Amino acid sequence: MRIRLLWLLLGILALIAGACAPTTPAAPGATATPAAAQPQEIVLGLSLSTLNNPFFVTLKEGAEKAAAQYGVRLIVVDAQDDPAKEAANIEDLIQKKVSALLINPTDTKAVVPSIQKANQAGIPVFTVDRAAEGGEIVSHIASDNVAGGRMAAEFLCKALNGKGKVVELEGIPGTSAARDRGKGFNDYLKEQCPGLEVIARQPADFNRAKGLQVFENILQAQPQIDGVFAHNDEMVLGAIQAAEAAGRTGIIFVGFDAIDDAVKAVKDGKLAATVAQQPAEMGRLAVEMAVKYLRGEKVEKFIPVPLSLVTKETVK
Amino acid sequence: MGEPLLRAEGISKAFPGVQALDRVTLEIFPGEIHGLVGENGAGKSTLIRILAGAIPRDAGRIFWQGQPVEIADPRHARRLGIAVIHQELSLLPNLTVAQNLLLGREPRTRWGLLDRRAMEQQAWRILHELGLDLDPQAPVGSLPFAQRQMLEIARALSENARLLIMDEPTSALSDREIHRLFELLRDLKARGVAVLFISHRLEEIFQIADRITILRDGHHIGTFPITEVTPSAVVRMMVGREMSEMFVKTATAGTEAILEVRDLTREGVFYGVSFEIRRGEIVGLAGLVGAGRTEVARALFGLDPVDRGEIRIEGKAVRIRSPLDAIRLGMALIPEDRKAQALFLSMALRSNITIAALPRIAPLGLLSGRRLDAASQPCIRHLDIRPPRPGIPVRHLSGGNQQKAVIARWLLLQPRILIMDEPTRGIDVAAKAEIHALMDRLAREGKAILMISSELPEILGISDRILVMREGRIVGELKREEATADRVLALAMGGLHARAA
Amino acid sequence: MRGLRDFLGRWSGGLVLLALWLALTLMTPRFLTPSNLLNVALQSSILAVVALGMTLTIISGGIDLSVGSVVAFTGALTAGLMVRNSWPVGGAILVGLAAGLAMGLLNGALVIYGRLVPFIATLSTMAIARGLTLVYTRGYPISGLPEAFTFLGTGDVLGIPMPVLVMMAVAAGISLLLNHTPWGLHLYAVGGGEDLAWLSGVRVKRIKGLVYGMSGLLAGLGGILLTARLWSAQPNVGIGLELEAIAASVLGGASLSGGYGSVRGTLVGALVMGTVGNGLNLLEVPSYHQQIIKGLIFILAVGLDQLLKTGPLSARSIPMRRRGAS
Repeated sequence: MRIRLLWLLLGILALIAGACAPTTPAAPGATATPAAAQPQEIVLGLSLSTLNNPFFVTLKEGAEKAAAQYGVRLIVVDAQDDPAKEAANIEDLIQKKVSALLINPTDTKAVVPSIQKANQAGIPVFTVDRAAEGGEIVSHIASDNVAGGRMAAEFLCKALNGKGKVVELEGIPGTSAARDRGKGFNDYLKEQCPGLEVIARQPADFNRAKGLQVFENILQAQPQIDGVFAHNDEMVLGAIQAAEAAGRTGIIFVGFDAIDDAVKAVKDGKLAATVAQQPAEMGRLAVEMAVKYLRGEKVEKFIPVPLSLVTKETVK
Repeated sequence: MGEPLLRAEGISKAFPGVQALDRVTLEIFPGEIHGLVGENGAGKSTLIRILAGAIPRDAGRIFWQGQPVEIADPRHARRLGIAVIHQELSLLPNLTVAQNLLLGREPRTRWGLLDRRAMEQQAWRILHELGLDLDPQAPVGSLPFAQRQMLEIARALSENARLLIMDEPTSALSDREIHRLFELLRDLKARGVAVLFISHRLEEIFQIADRITILRDGHHIGTFPITEVTPSAVVRMMVGREMSEMFVKTATAGTEAILEVRDLTREGVFYGVSFEIRRGEIVGLAGLVGAGRTEVARALFGLDPVDRGEIRIEGKAVRIRSPLDAIRLGMALIPEDRKAQALFLSMALRSNITIAALPRIAPLGLLSGRRLDAASQPCIRHLDIRPPRPGIPVRHLSGGNQQKAVIARWLLLQPRILIMDEPTRGIDVAAKAEIHALMDRLAREGKAILMISSELPEILGISDRILVMREGRIVGELKREEATADRVLALAMGGLHARAA
Repeated sequence: MRGLRDFLGRWSGGLVLLALWLALTLMTPRFLTPSNLLNVALQSSILAVVALGMTLTIISGGIDLSVGSVVAFTGALTAGLMVRNSWPVGGAILVGLAAGLAMGLLNGALVIYGRLVPFIATLSTMAIARGLTLVYTRGYPISGLPEAFTFLGTGDVLGIPMPVLVMMAVAAGISLLLNHTPWGLHLYAVGGGEDLAWLSGVRVKRIKGLVYGMSGLLAGLGGILLTARLWSAQPNVGIGLELEAIAASVLGGASLSGGYGSVRGTLVGALVMGTVGNGLNLLEVPSYHQQIIKGLIFILAVGLDQLLKTGPLSARSIPMRRRGAS
């Protein structure tokens, strides 16, 4: 009985080993030729907050593709959203003496001691998507929310032929996302599209229910609304619901984030557009910046990652 | 003889449906080895448990060294100096010999820490005094049973026990180990320690005891100096019950052997067991507790492996390696402890009855209360289970009706061979008669029945033939006509009577 | 043969650890370096502290599922007192430890007086402590800790990281308690058989209560160390830590049915856990695969332990309780 169980276990183990095989070719070559043999070889360590979220999986894939292009080695570790595990992972990468660390922190503060450790070990650190509140960072690579706001404004402007009354639903006041997205949106309107008038601007806290409620009130107050920009998709979806319930048509809605529900709404024609982050591009840029820096080129403190617009024409 | 160490007077104890003890009196003197005998169910265990403080008594008084005492719990009994050495020993297997010996009174250093050296020295001294050659550092879990028993005695004595109550202490010991145990007991006796010695083996009692007390059906039959009684007189006093329960036997055995067992052996448990059971025959398997009867039943049913031997069913040699094999071959085992081993107490009667036959009742794996009712109702009627409600949880049934539920479950599978281990244990008289009538009916229907029973009247009343086991062997076979209580008991106890058959 | 088996049984955890180290040394030059070994010790240290408390409850025949949440709660409380209420470091630490102790004693009371199965009692306090943490922190991390405090997590003395030093001190203390005090012996007795221990005059209830108190206290210490290590109290740390602590204890030879377990074993168990995590990272095993391999290593390690302890691969008879067999 027990012997049989043992065989079963060994069988499973063999199976797993087999399953691992396609992913390991990089490792044997790497371990057989340690850094000493190839002093020029660049090894990047990428610490991700989680791999349980499609956004970060895509980010990782973008980084891997870029690493292959540049001919550098990329080691990916996953903190599973646990700051303690993140600390251990980064320590291990420091032990491996990676050439540079690309960190997507689980938390802006908890990552600081790990970054300082890397600083002490002389390993340059880049942060990705989420910033850190301390330590020396070569560069922060993240989506450009200001550009995203401009993108939304430009789209609305075109769709309304430069003239009309628009509403802005804001995110939680004080968050960087709300601030930057709003800034980009309003700056563009002021500079490029003065014909669009913002008739109402209210926070709805990134929340769908709040978005619905806030927009219901605005609908009551404003007999004419031509366009809506919300700082995220949740709020815009709430607003669409409110407009449908009130029987108001002809409003052009623009959201932000391209979450699944929003993409579906774009397909259905209810949502005109949503601004999408590009995690793959973020991963690619992170690797590119690290390689540039290691080859002695100068790298900006902040690398904005371009955003893209999902509309009925571009949606897959 | 001076003042008794312990005097228990007029002790009574009733359990639901049974008067386990009825005004029993027991006196034990310092330096005495006192034998306590009686059939199963005579009340020995109940008496021991009362003296050990494990259960309260209903009536009677207990005096310890002349003073009336209320023994509140086992710990109190130990403080008084009463130590019980049970069949299942009360040692902690994860601790060492020394730790077990001194648990609860460990020597400490000035700082309140364990003084491990002193501990080992004390342990060694205790063991040495009793002439026990045990390593104080050895983990108890690794010791053989006999050594653990010695260790337990040592611990009791080192706690200044004045009365050792030993429940069947020799049942798991070899002859040599028994010899050593007796030497130790005689040694203790010389030091004034009293021993209450419970054993089924009369020859041991006669070897070691000074006096003997006989219980029967909860009554105190008598206490005698060992020199004033003979083993056969003791047996008569133990059995001497009137055969009041009447068995009506209507089935007659056929000639065709359904089950044949040849030379079945499980090393260390039973040896060379051979017998056969014919169609419609009830064979009684008699013997003392520990004779190996249940073990034979377990082996037949595939619960324990056997080392040698052959089993044939209706002339065909078979291999039984698991209960599933046994069931497929048409065997059924009704175990002795129905609550622990057979019944799902919280489940409904219908589920209990049908659980082994579900594939037949629900071929597609889908069950419904209606289907279960339909399947179980004929059985309930057939066996007259009361109340005849399929939905009633089994724990609400009386012992007799619970037993019928177990039997019903197996009858649904239409077995050819029924093995019944103590089928009427813990069942009141009327229900017993019903179970017996049921067994008779099953035999008439052509089933072969092997019945293990410790109750002589049952064995004598219902069996066509009686096999008697002692120490793992079948030592005699008696036909119904030639069987008497004396002859069965003599065979079971061995060597005291002229060998019968 | 028996001697050898005893030896292997006692040291099987150590053998597994040695085998792991040997394998990793052969597979990567980065493993067997002083700085990486210190790194492994550091990564195992907080787990070890928590697992030692877990081991105590396991020896008693119980379990403490609340440790992960208690880690988060005490960490948040300690940090909050320093940051929000400007308490001195020492005072905050003392209150944090006391909170851990209190959570543990609550577990003990639920088990002893509430007659709850330890699994259920500590499962409930696990939820309660996590909820308290979220309420206290409002879901946000607490940071801005004084340096005297963060030294506990990221400082070192003579090159040895503080958490490792704390772990060694805790291990020495628990070892003294288990092996050299009557209390320790009584704890093993309780785990071997509560009723039998009670019969021998062991104060079963008091011991069980204290065991949970100690487990809570050590979880509290673990929470303080973790907060110091992360320079911030995170409301969602310690999720799943209880399972790692159980794994470390069992890898170290503790038996979930009680009566067995040791400081040395649990330290080895925690080191095995730390080594596996570190080794898989050094070998650059992809993170999804890491979890599968971890599971397999634990099965093999515990299986090996069982094999060495119980001996021959014999067919056992089907266990069916035998009472008063005839």
